[in-house]
Amino acid sequence: MDFEPRYTEEQQTFRTEVRDWLKDNVPDDLANPADSADTTYDDYLQYRALGRDLGEKGWLWPTAPTEYGGGGLTIDHAIVLDEELDEYSLSLPPYYDSGGRLGGASILVWGDDDQKERFLPPIFKGEVRTWQLLTEPNAGSDLAGVQISAVRDGDDYVINGQKIFVGSSHGAEQYWTITCTDPDGDRHQNLSWFIVPAETPGLTVVPMDLLIAGGEGGAGTGHKNTIFFDNVRVPASNLIGGENNGWQVATTHLELEHGSGGTIRRNRLVDRLFDYARELKRDGQPISKDPEVQELLVDVFVEAEISRLFGLRNYWMRHAHQKLAHEGPQSSYYRKTSGLRMGEAILKILGPYALTDDPKWDKSDSHMEVFQRSSIVALHPGGTAEIQKVIMSRRLGIGRQVREQAGRLA
Amino acid sequence: MDLSLTEQQELLKTTARDFMEREASKDILLELEETESGYSDELWQKASDIGWLGMLVPEQYGGSGSSLTDAAVVYEQMGAGPLSGPFFSSGVLGALTILEAGTEGQRQRYLPSIAVGREIAALALTEPDYGWGPDSVSMRAQPTDNGYVLSGTKLFVHDAASATTLITAVRARGHEGMTLMMVDANTPGVSTRLLSGFMGWVGEVTYDSVEVSADAVLGEPGSAWQPLQRAFQKAIPILCAYQVGGSQAVFDMTLEYSRTRIQFGNPIGRFQRVQDHIVNIINHLDAARWTTYEALWKLDSDRLTDNGVETSIHLAKAVTTEGYYQACNGAHEVHAGIGVMKDYGLTLHTQMSRTLYHYLGDPRFHRKRMAETLDF
Ligand SMILES: Cc1cc2nc3c(=O)[nH]c(=O)nc-3n(C[C@H](O)[C@H](O)[C@H](O)COP(=O)(O)OP(=O)(O)OC[C@H]3O[C@@H](n4cnc5c(N)ncnc54)[C@H](O)[C@@H]3O)c2cc1C
Repeated sequence: MDFEPRYTEEQQTFRTEVRDWLKDNVPDDLANPADSADTTYDDYLQYRALGRDLGEKGWLWPTAPTEYGGGGLTIDHAIVLDEELDEYSLSLPPYYDSGGRLGGASILVWGDDDQKERFLPPIFKGEVRTWQLLTEPNAGSDLAGVQISAVRDGDDYVINGQKIFVGSSHGAEQYWTITCTDPDGDRHQNLSWFIVPAETPGLTVVPMDLLIAGGEGGAGTGHKNTIFFDNVRVPASNLIGGENNGWQVATTHLELEHGSGGTIRRNRLVDRLFDYARELKRDGQPISKDPEVQELLVDVFVEAEISRLFGLRNYWMRHAHQKLAHEGPQSSYYRKTSGLRMGEAILKILGPYALTDDPKWDKSDSHMEVFQRSSIVALHPGGTAEIQKVIMSRRLGIGRQVREQAGRLA
Repeated sequence: MDLSLTEQQELLKTTARDFMEREASKDILLELEETESGYSDELWQKASDIGWLGMLVPEQYGGSGSSLTDAAVVYEQMGAGPLSGPFFSSGVLGALTILEAGTEGQRQRYLPSIAVGREIAALALTEPDYGWGPDSVSMRAQPTDNGYVLSGTKLFVHDAASATTLITAVRARGHEGMTLMMVDANTPGVSTRLLSGFMGWVGEVTYDSVEVSADAVLGEPGSAWQPLQRAFQKAIPILCAYQVGGSQAVFDMTLEYSRTRIQFGNPIGRFQRVQDHIVNIINHLDAARWTTYEALWKLDSDRLTDNGVETSIHLAKAVTTEGYYQACNGAHEVHAGIGVMKDYGLTLHTQMSRTLYHYLGDPRFHRKRMAETLDF
């Protein structure tokens, strides 16, 4: 066993190349606001441009196959890229996009050759941004209960209905969505996935006003939207995985969304909190010197470390092609619930300072205040904390003879 | 023993609930959330008209001299909104502080106008070095020939922006203890600023060489701490009642949602994981309610000398503050997506539970005080 990333000479050479490239190509005026909804359109465009440049080099989705526009690089290279981007507080992709990790990865498993050729290169090269459209007013945890209807009409499907809590700010080029293609069909046998170009007539995007948009693990999401489908026509060739086979596709998508992908990124919140505690004074001395505060700081540290290790383990398992069971939902569950506990500890540690982003008094560039809200909101995306427990239980075989298998990732 | 409300208190409760439904519906509260003060002139006037600001002001100063429990019954309904605006700051904490610490002349001068909502008082005590203990005030008042000059900053002052009078805690030169000064918010050199974030109507007050006359001192210089503690003791259970009302509203909306939200063909309340959250909420709620009611009863039945009263007050504050916070978290788990939509209304409570978390001492503060009063 070896927790320390050991770098080969090849990796270190690659690192130098990445570092130099990033130095030349990451604009230094790019703001990375604590609340991603504060990202300006101009900055967003710059992030997109950076994404395309990375895509051009095969670094946007480094391990995706080259034949479909990915980098075709090894996990060793991906680690180096992740680490170097982290130095800029960036991740891959450097903006909210469900295309590569979820939609693209699912198409790789379930698409036919023509679809892979058509849809994957623009995704893996960062030319298009994709939003995932799953949730509906009556179908949240119960994703199999989606009601948005897709009806075959000649060479097209016509889609009608509504999706909520989807996407981000500043638009997208395409949507990756699950629909019902057989309202009378059996549960799990009546669903179908589509790629829907965003400019198709009949689509209306309305922003939602939430406590905060929160994150879905990767880059900040900006705000969420309701999207209405009014006789939206999509060519049948955009149906992925076959008619009424949508639940199979969903298992792949959800497996990834539930945290099976893992992460090797650090949680900067803890560093920020520690810095804050060293700076903030109570009774004339830094609160970090107060033994009670120290206990709470350690609580936060413990939570963050466990989260980090679950993410690290999953990252390794995925890339080492280990068989996954409960690990994905476990990491997601832990991140969600420990987030809530960390929020509470931070509220005790910093007092009301935890609640304000007032530039004169807040010493964290809004990060603490944003976390007070985002730790609540983050309980829900990609399946609620409780749903993660449901999935873990099935995967562990609690109360059943046969363990549920994890969704196919390749 | 009889733990029920009196008939008259039941009436107060119904009137307050009706008023809230009529004048402070969710939609109105969502609008008020965007304002600097948390109230509208119209709402303030109507609430004053039905006596909500004078409940704790004795009759001789123009109030109704109600018991703390009576006031708490009304505040519980306000908390269910949760109604924003400087009701508690002025009508409870402000009025009680003046009553406990002020001279007869000062009571006559301030209380009648507070009771009708013409004056709005807010306590400016906490500073950047935040705390609620006797040592947390370090702002100085420099004596001059005919008064004092105040310089410094007060931070996390509730309802600072709507106050007409800031009851400002200072250290007056030559006096060991704390001094309270009645500072007109319009005095040159006083400026207030709302703090943004996940809290409502909490501000910063800066005093830039603010000149006040000698009679601005509430009571005697250097001797405000004890009367202020007496005011806190009475005010805290009323704040607790407000939080109980908030927790009750959060429980009600969560229970209702669990009955009507269908997933997997069932009301989500059928899932034991959802039940667990709701059971947690009601445990927090009931704990908050009964610790609060007992503290109120002890205060109203003149058990002030009873050494259990202080413990009761700290207990109520620690339990209700934690309870409201946890009730909101539980409600978010049950509601999932819809709960974080601003127009649903749950987040009004979530923000309020955070806003009040440290106010008049956070749960840890009160637990420590309990450790003292329990005299281990
Ligand atoms: C910030 C944010 C971002 C989001 N981003 C996206 C996005 O990009 N794309 C997208 O499609 N969706 C997105 N969502 C939606 C998200 O996936 C749903 O909110 C989530 O799946 C829960 O669904 P729901 O809100 O309808 O809650 P419900 O499913 O109605 O759940 C209500 C409660 O019932 C519980 N429950 C439900 N079923 C069970 C069960 N079987 N056993 C035990 N408990 C159960 C839940 O745990 C919860 O406590 C986002 C949501 C948020 C808040």
